[in-house]
Amino acid sequence: MATNTDTNTSPTDDTASKRVVDDPILEIEDTNVTYSEGDTYVLEDVNVTIDRHEVLGIVGESGSGKSMFASALLDAVPDPGLLTGKIHYNRKDGSTVDILQMSDEELRQFRWEEISMVFQGAMSSFNPTMKVGSHFKETLRTHDKNVSEGMEFARELLENLYLEPERVLDSYPHELSGGMQQRALIALSMVLDPEVLVMDEPTAALDLLMQRSILQLLDNLQSEYDLTIIFITHDLPLVASLADRMAIIYAFQFAEIGPRDEIIGNSAHPYTRELLNSTPNLDAPLEDMQPIEGEGPAPVNVPSGCRYHPRCQLATEKCRTDDPPFSPVDGGGGHRSACHYREEAREEIPLNFGKTAEDFDQQLVSDPTDGPNAGSTATLETTSDTPLLSLDDVEVHFGEEQSLIERFTQDPTVVRAVDGISLDIEEQDLVCLLGESGCGKTTLGKTMIGLQKPTGGSIEYRGHDIWEAKAGNTDIPYKEVRSALQIIHQDPGSALNPNRRIADILTEPLRHTHPNIGRAERRDRMHSLLERVGMTPAGDFLERYPHQLSGGEKQRVALARALLMDPDAILADEAISAVDVSLRIGIMDLMLELQAEFDTSFLFISHDLSNARYFAEHGDGRIAVMYLGEIVEIGSAERLIHDPRHPYTEVLRWATPNLDLDAMDAEDPPIREIDVPDPVDPPSGCRFHTRCPVAREACREEQPKLAELDDGDGAAACFREDPNHAYWNSEPLDGAAENPEGLEQH
Amino acid sequence: MNYYLRRTVRIPLTILAVATFTFGLIRLLPGGPFTQLRIQLIRQGVPAEQVNARIEALQNIRPDAPLWQQYLDYLIGVAQLDLGRSISLNAPVIEILARALPWTVFLVVTSTVLMFVIGVLIGAIQAYKEGSRFDKVASGSSIFLMAVPYYIFAVLFLFFLSFQLNLFPTGNAVERGIEASLSAEYFLSVLHHAALPIIAFTIGGVGSTALNMRGNGIQVLGEEYVEVARLRGLPDSRIATKYVAKNAILPMYTGLLLLIGFRLGGTVVLEQIFSYPGLGYYLISAVNANDYPLMMGCFLVITVTLVIAVYIADLTYGLIDPRISAGDSDGY
Ligand code: SF4
Ligand code: SF4
Repeated sequence: MATNTDTNTSPTDDTASKRVVDDPILEIEDTNVTYSEGDTYVLEDVNVTIDRHEVLGIVGESGSGKSMFASALLDAVPDPGLLTGKIHYNRKDGSTVDILQMSDEELRQFRWEEISMVFQGAMSSFNPTMKVGSHFKETLRTHDKNVSEGMEFARELLENLYLEPERVLDSYPHELSGGMQQRALIALSMVLDPEVLVMDEPTAALDLLMQRSILQLLDNLQSEYDLTIIFITHDLPLVASLADRMAIIYAFQFAEIGPRDEIIGNSAHPYTRELLNSTPNLDAPLEDMQPIEGEGPAPVNVPSGCRYHPRCQLATEKCRTDDPPFSPVDGGGGHRSACHYREEAREEIPLNFGKTAEDFDQQLVSDPTDGPNAGSTATLETTSDTPLLSLDDVEVHFGEEQSLIERFTQDPTVVRAVDGISLDIEEQDLVCLLGESGCGKTTLGKTMIGLQKPTGGSIEYRGHDIWEAKAGNTDIPYKEVRSALQIIHQDPGSALNPNRRIADILTEPLRHTHPNIGRAERRDRMHSLLERVGMTPAGDFLERYPHQLSGGEKQRVALARALLMDPDAILADEAISAVDVSLRIGIMDLMLELQAEFDTSFLFISHDLSNARYFAEHGDGRIAVMYLGEIVEIGSAERLIHDPRHPYTEVLRWATPNLDLDAMDAEDPPIREIDVPDPVDPPSGCRFHTRCPVAREACREEQPKLAELDDGDGAAACFREDPNHAYWNSEPLDGAAENPEGLEQH
Repeated sequence: MNYYLRRTVRIPLTILAVATFTFGLIRLLPGGPFTQLRIQLIRQGVPAEQVNARIEALQNIRPDAPLWQQYLDYLIGVAQLDLGRSISLNAPVIEILARALPWTVFLVVTSTVLMFVIGVLIGAIQAYKEGSRFDKVASGSSIFLMAVPYYIFAVLFLFFLSFQLNLFPTGNAVERGIEASLSAEYFLSVLHHAALPIIAFTIGGVGSTALNMRGNGIQVLGEEYVEVARLRGLPDSRIATKYVAKNAILPMYTGLLLLIGFRLGGTVVLEQIFSYPGLGYYLISAVNANDYPLMMGCFLVITVTLVIAVYIADLTYGLIDPRISAGDSDGY
């Protein structure tokens, strides 16, 4: 794209936007949002200025009031919320208006023409019974714009977002993938060429790779169309790569705001610092990642004094009584923080990723001999026994329904969700399946624990074929297999029966495994297990219903229920993605501890390399990278992260948020296509060749095999592993790098 | 296209099944209609040797032929729209049905459409004004209407408006003596006669439609795309039609066509009460007169209409709601 060259925002751009501090586009003064006649604040006392053409990243946990802030900027707070204060908007021509004083008609024109918004769920932002194109047209028409010119602009926007304009405009929303819908929604929000784009978690439901790709595209759009972007998210590292300035919202108030580098590298608020430390990322030493204890307050019982004091490790008597002012911090241009003890915070809460660079190198220097070797000996000694689960050339193909006539005239359309995978899971093993959505990782996971029947190949549990056991053809009862292999779902809420108390939910599996124990003993066991998973007082929790628990607590109950079955393996399907960032590490730690205690294996499905890394590295397990139904690389977390062999692994590594300021700034995505190809008709040869940054002609014809690495643990499926392969002599594909070596270190 | 093909192939199959069922009923049930008919004929003094011939004429079945032959004959008869002769009215069944069916269809379609339109409007207003006085009153009435069977209204109307006040006729579809023509007089007469049955039948269904619409409407109003449409500045009228109404009504559409089929059965009682000469009226008189050929004919026609209603519902739903497309493939 033509715009790529001038979009590399980096130091120059940043300083530029800092200099224009005296050209604010939005000035928000004493703004509040209240409910129940002013008793409950869901946004309190906001005084913030937003500069023209800046990207402001706003980070907060769910239920912190961050979405309220987004709605307030468009005077669109959901009923019966009451918005008060002043929000001045400075037009390009110098005139100023107070958004809250506008008449309905003025507001109708103002929204979308001047300030536009992108919502969280693209799926739910389009009218499901109307074509995407009609959304654009009706928007242009209501705002009295020339429709054909406007559609021309819409096509340009869509193209800049790596979409095929005609196809997208002519589709119904459900015909597009989530990532496509989200990008179409961004185009829709920009179709009237607004000045400001407010984005509320615009990528939350997407894969990491898609999120990062969209962020890069946003970066391009921002400079091409001179946008001011307000990007609201719970994901601190994600927005850090895009933002010029960042703000942290905690419990309905701004806790800190400042230039991005200040917030990331020199934050003056304990919450920000702990948030940074609790974020799983690839660089920080594992032992330094710490969860923040407790959870954010509800609007009805906001703590007195500093709202963070119940969770703050530095809290004093003063914090409990006095509300800290949101005042400037010395040293940073425009850096403000609401804390009494900023200096102490900086001293007492060291940032863990600060040390990254050196630690990294040390590790690399000291490890190469024992790291990979340790890994390979481990695999060697375990392979001598029968593995817990053994997959041999497993295939899961979903056929699509066809009519009589089609059956004769067309080839059957088959989705190859899993295509020829062989993998052994040992006792007490830990394997993370990593990949984008649609790569088959969930199907493979379900196949591994016998919930999905493979259409080819076999899956054995301790040497017995699971599906033979189900048919009753083996000497091992199927019931035993079934209870040995358990699952924890992504959304614990839907997996727990809402009408039953936690005690009842947990009794069920106990009846199964220990039919002969009495009531009292059952209760004792549940009690101690709940305490073990960190839910105290257990007696109290046992009496509750699922809706009375937070997301993290529900996930703990789901885990406890799985453990009560005495399983040999637990499949955790994206089990922590529904949990707030600051609590994720806590849950992962718990799983890891319990793995050792309960002698189980864990299969962990994720699209997030840093979560997979945390898990695999702590639990001494492997990460298997999947792409379109195949495993393309497998190995220890350390090797995969520091020495990825498959180009796809490198792409995933690129997509993983990073808190290292030097490496943070935007680069274009190292893939040639943003969207995953249709699994009905996967590309020929190497399936990754349509997107691979270093693909060559040879990759189009031949399919690489998953081969053991000579100089590292694990295996990878790419021709680049074989120095004598014809690959090296063939021409690079369209758009692929001429010199593949250039990709290696970026 | 396979979606439509599959549905289309299903139609003749279903009709075949229904015809087979009627045949089975007539021929095979011991002491069933067939035997009854024989006894009846003999009792009427038809000479025993003629009984078989008469049965054949009435039911186009030859009782002495082998079973498969009888079955085939019957099916061929049905295919040629020859449903035998009515005993009580002494006319071909198909003729009677052809005369009765339009009236019934008129009743059912008009009342169902009215019911749907009124119900949807009330429900939509309720959804927009959720929690208001109107909403509460309307919900209460809807529940009341759902609880009272429609024939209670029919009887009440008939008693007060026709017998007491003499405002409406108490039977027939048109004034005696008015010829079927395109004249205003004829149309007025038709409306005058059909008014009470239609109103009674409409009221009975409005409640559930309104409640249904209210629920769907409230749900759609809470959807993010409605909020986004408002922020995009779309006029309220467009949001109400293209966004709220369309998405709220679509799920009710299949139900509507099914309802038409279902309500066809309901006319049996309704037409009886108003002495309205539709299918249901003839069905009841056929039962009273032990007129099996006519009974079976009515039964066959009602079932076939139901099947076709379901078919149209299925077909058009795919066209109307883009989310249900032929061979939808997002299933994994
Ligand atoms: S004011 Fe006190 S409690 Fe609040 S963040 Fe600062 S140190 Fe912690
Ligand atoms: S085989 Fe070719 S296309 Fe496939 S990953 Fe390797 S370089 Fe890329």
